[in-house]
Amino acid sequence: MNGFDLAIALFLLGNLIVALLVAARGPTSADRMLMALLFGSTGTGILVLLAQAMHIPALVDVALVLALLAAIGGVAFAKRAWQGDGHD
Amino acid sequence: MTELIMPWISGALLIVGAFFYAAGTLGLLRFPDVYSRLHALAKADNLGLGFVLLGLALQAESVAAGLKLLLIWPLALAASAGVSYAIARRADRLGVKPWRKGSP
Amino acid sequence: MSLVFDLLLAAALLWSGGRCLSVDRLDRAIVLFIAFGLLMALAWARLAAPDIGLAEAAIGAGLTGALLLDAYGVVKRRKA
Repeated sequence: MNGFDLAIALFLLGNLIVALLVAARGPTSADRMLMALLFGSTGTGILVLLAQAMHIPALVDVALVLALLAAIGGVAFAKRAWQGDGHD
Repeated sequence: MTELIMPWISGALLIVGAFFYAAGTLGLLRFPDVYSRLHALAKADNLGLGFVLLGLALQAESVAAGLKLLLIWPLALAASAGVSYAIARRADRLGVKPWRKGSP
Repeated sequence: MSLVFDLLLAAALLWSGGRCLSVDRLDRAIVLFIAFGLLMALAWARLAAPDIGLAEAAIGAGLTGALLLDAYGVVKRRKA
């Protein structure tokens, strides 16, 4: 089953890279931040899959921390950094 | 019997999760305004991660490891809901108009 | 398949790092920095170093990203 887990992880990584390439030229700052949040959730999925495929259970903890701190970044963006419309 | 069909169920759940991730990414790239993009992001966050975690929990060696995997999901749900609320409220406060049919 | 995964990860790391340094707008650079931190955490995970990956995910992608966003907001408010 390991090869299959790694295949799914590879698919998610491809997903993430497509989003990254487009996010670099996204229209508004909110869209780019949503991309960062998507990276957080996709990265959590990839880490959990890697933990299973590589037999390193500690990677689940890394996934847990990533899921939490992506949310902190999103809230910091909404509360502090985002002001004015899409031109900044 | 259980050992025979469990990998298939787990693999199917993983594929469904990957599909939701792809759908969320596609929606984030194609949807017209911030609110609908938040909707797409929530699909990837909640359903994609949920199905992947469920599929992996079926493969876990012990019950404790499986439950730990499943415990990530409520955390991600709460975080995603909080962030979506904060961003949507901020967008509304800044005067971002929701997209309507026919508007560019 | 793991070779493809590693090569893709390395290419994305190099691209996001270079782009983060060369992009002209501050907010784009911050988002690219967060993406870079996340990819770095994945790279540490691939190198079988979950402890460094944990630190990178917590400090690099999470806290530094939030602090940079906060600082960006302060700078913009002062300029306005």
